[in-house]
Amino acid sequence: MKADVSEELRMLDGMARDFAARELVEEREEHDRYPFAPLYDDVLAKSLEVGFFSIMLPEDAGGSAEPVTALCLVLDELCRADASLGGAVFTQALAQEILRLAGAEELLAREAEGDGDLAQALIAFPSYDNPSEAGNCARASRGEKGYELSGEVEYVVLGGLAAHALLPARVEGMEGFAFFLVDTGHEGFTASEPVLSLGMHACPAVDLTLSGVPARLVGEERKGGQYFEAAVDRLSVAAAAVATGIMKGSFTDALEYCRQRKQGGRHIIEWSEVRMLLSSMAVSCKVADMLVECAARAVDRGEPGWELASRAAALQAQSLAPEVTSNGIQLLGGYGYMKDYGQEKRFRDAKQAQPLLGITPLRRLKYIRSIIDGEAAW
Amino acid sequence: MFEGMKSSSLLDRDPRLVDIMCSLDNAGKMPTGVASEIREAVALARRFNEAVARPYALELDRKMSEDPTYIPWDLVKEINRWGFYTAWIPKIFGGKGWNLGSITPVVEELCSVCAGIGNLIGVQYFGLSILFAGWNMRITDKVCREVVEGERSGEPCLVAGLVTEPGAGTDAEEVELLSKAKVRCHARRVEGGYVVNGTKVFISNGHVSTWHMLIAYEDLERPEETMILFAVKNGTKGFSFGRMEKKMGQKGCPASEMIFQDCFIPDEDVCISASQMKGLKRGAKGTGMQLIDFVVSLTRPGVGAMGAGVARGAYETALRFARETLVDGKPLVNHEWAQCLLAEMYANAALARLTYMECNHVNGLYGMASLLNMKPMYYYMRAVPTAVLDRFMPAVNAADATTRIFRKLVMDGQTEEEARRASGWASLSKFAATDLGIKNCQLAVEFMGRAGIRHDGWAEKFLRDSKLLQIYEGTNQLNRLNLFKCMIAPWVPEAQVFEE
Ligand SMILES: Cc1cc2nc3c(=O)[nH]c(=O)nc-3n(C[C@H](O)[C@H](O)[C@H](O)COP(=O)(O)OP(=O)(O)OC[C@H]3O[C@@H](n4cnc5c(N)ncnc54)[C@H](O)[C@@H]3O)c2cc1C
Repeated sequence: MKADVSEELRMLDGMARDFAARELVEEREEHDRYPFAPLYDDVLAKSLEVGFFSIMLPEDAGGSAEPVTALCLVLDELCRADASLGGAVFTQALAQEILRLAGAEELLAREAEGDGDLAQALIAFPSYDNPSEAGNCARASRGEKGYELSGEVEYVVLGGLAAHALLPARVEGMEGFAFFLVDTGHEGFTASEPVLSLGMHACPAVDLTLSGVPARLVGEERKGGQYFEAAVDRLSVAAAAVATGIMKGSFTDALEYCRQRKQGGRHIIEWSEVRMLLSSMAVSCKVADMLVECAARAVDRGEPGWELASRAAALQAQSLAPEVTSNGIQLLGGYGYMKDYGQEKRFRDAKQAQPLLGITPLRRLKYIRSIIDGEAAW
Repeated sequence: MFEGMKSSSLLDRDPRLVDIMCSLDNAGKMPTGVASEIREAVALARRFNEAVARPYALELDRKMSEDPTYIPWDLVKEINRWGFYTAWIPKIFGGKGWNLGSITPVVEELCSVCAGIGNLIGVQYFGLSILFAGWNMRITDKVCREVVEGERSGEPCLVAGLVTEPGAGTDAEEVELLSKAKVRCHARRVEGGYVVNGTKVFISNGHVSTWHMLIAYEDLERPEETMILFAVKNGTKGFSFGRMEKKMGQKGCPASEMIFQDCFIPDEDVCISASQMKGLKRGAKGTGMQLIDFVVSLTRPGVGAMGAGVARGAYETALRFARETLVDGKPLVNHEWAQCLLAEMYANAALARLTYMECNHVNGLYGMASLLNMKPMYYYMRAVPTAVLDRFMPAVNAADATTRIFRKLVMDGQTEEEARRASGWASLSKFAATDLGIKNCQLAVEFMGRAGIRHDGWAEKFLRDSKLLQIYEGTNQLNRLNLFKCMIAPWVPEAQVFEE
């Protein structure tokens, strides 16, 4: 992914790699015990400090205004070590992108003012849903003092941590949905215990119940779906980077293990069937890496068809990762199935990362629909 | 006549019909009572699922995530009460003597709800199969009757199988690899018995078992020639439990480390030793492989059935989701693509089932319990009350002559062809059905999106549980190689397996 990047991005990438090695690897198993162990607030706070939560944020909102390639590089490095942090960074970037697309710069700026306060900086967001498909929306009503949200929204990522949540809601008497920003501290706002999930345990999600929570409209009422799809266009490639990082971590550890482990009187790396599995993993890693690089460049340069490039990269990388990480367990035999090694976590994380941005088959249908309807040139 | 000869020689060509379609041979020989036994057994498993497994599976999984040292004694006792731990112990050893053909459908049924609980039951028959495979009738009788007593008294008596060592997993499953393996579990001959030193790992049900079927080696430089099988009971001096593993799935079934430090095991608990194997037709190495094959021919289709179970569980979960979820205002189940996906998942579960059903036929003909499938024996065993057998069988089983006769009959009586067919098909079912199982779990999670990754949605647990099926009872790679060795290599004179 790094063939063609600037010196500045190379430094960012190196910084992310060092950060992952220093903060994520050693305590990976313990971090992953959440919610049965404390959340790694210190790591999240440091991530905020080094700017992982504002990579693409416009400069006037306090961010680095980096291209999507930068976000992909960071996600790749983090997710090799521990995809939980990648999930949080991704969710934050997605929420910011929607705010930016909606022209809600003033909301972004307010958020960046939190200066060092983690909860103030984070935005909770249901990053596993396309609200127009899943119907996972609150209800919005307009009263004298403005909008209020009620109802339930499931699986809101970072919901227990962030001071703000960006939520989809249906406005009474109107088609589609709109996005609203709410304060999670309001008394009408109730978050469940963290939802126990397959993977990325340290990127928690909660189910929300809202009852008359004051909300600020983001952009225009009818345009929620439009903002969301535009954000998906840009950030699908970042979801692909999450999957790719997980795969690379799995491959690296499997290769190393096969060099060490002996069975049948030799290192297992000498058995050709073991090499076949390693080869299949390596090829998938390479393919995914090329996809992300190419699609991120297309997005950043606005090349014709960049939207489909980004979406195809996500669908493909996300479907390679479960297979790769399954082999990553397999090559470690029984040890691969145990928490003591990172491989079982990567298997879970890879599958957890697959439905980011919505149910996979529905995203496939959406992909072909945009070609059939002539919205996008393939 | 001439015509007949011609077709039989045609059918004897590779692929020989007897190799690829054992069901054809066995169907006519199968006692009709087997089918009704299977129905009853599956019905019991369904009752158990509704009463015990389904209400508890998620809670147990969660509890184990919170506290990986928790030992599910209450559940083991409940299973004991339901009679699953003695159901397939033959009546001559005091058990219920259910037909072995019913064990795989029951395992599928159990695993369609929870593979961890399925394993907590199924592994009992892994341990017992190792016990049976030594054909030491005296010890088998002793251990089985303790299991039966454990059911009566309410104090479960489980049997675990201890094969894998830290440095030898795949190697411990195949004698050709064993000869190059770094095994460490050593049995030193002393006056009146053996002193064992070594460690076993990943032992399913270890911490909840009473008897431990231990494979060790008298000469660590020549393990393939010096295998020895012991029955070790809890409390034996020098034997202790080590750590309990923290697993990704099947959390309800503990995987244990077992430690032997100068552990003295008396001669009377030696099930079969290399010197006894030397007296048999195949010699020590060949009999060692036969012992492994006896076991895995029964237990690998069991893992295949677990594959069918998770495949079905994942499919049923996806179907439920499809009926409850609206997309574009229409239930997902009425979208054509979803119907095709569900059909695919249905087929995966069915294909997995077919593989273990074929193994049931193969084992019916050639497995180590095939004697019990012969019609006169089958009907006699069904009719005779256990109480009657109990009056004389313990004494019969205790006689050395009984062990000698059974070893001649079953071990020496089995031909190489029969052994390789049973082992080859078992491997086929093991890897094919478990690959299908995990595939369905992946599909279900993918199909359900956010609902698929939530613990309360079931699909993610099926996925975590299913991955183990590709690893234990020999990795799916080892099982592919074993299929090649048993079903392909015999017709390929230049083929060398494990020799690359
Ligand atoms: C939860 C759990 C429960 C278990 N329960 C039991 C039990 O009750 N009793 C028991 O005895 N064991 C049990 N096992 C052990 C299990 O059978 C072994 O894990 C399995 O045989 C693999 O051995 P290994 O883990 O040492 O992997 P290894 O043998 O080290 O294999 C590592 C990798 O190398 C590959 N490989 C090794 N040799 C070759 C070769 N010659 N050719 C090609 N590829 C090769 C394997 O396929 C695998 O991908 C259990 C394991 C687990 C994880």
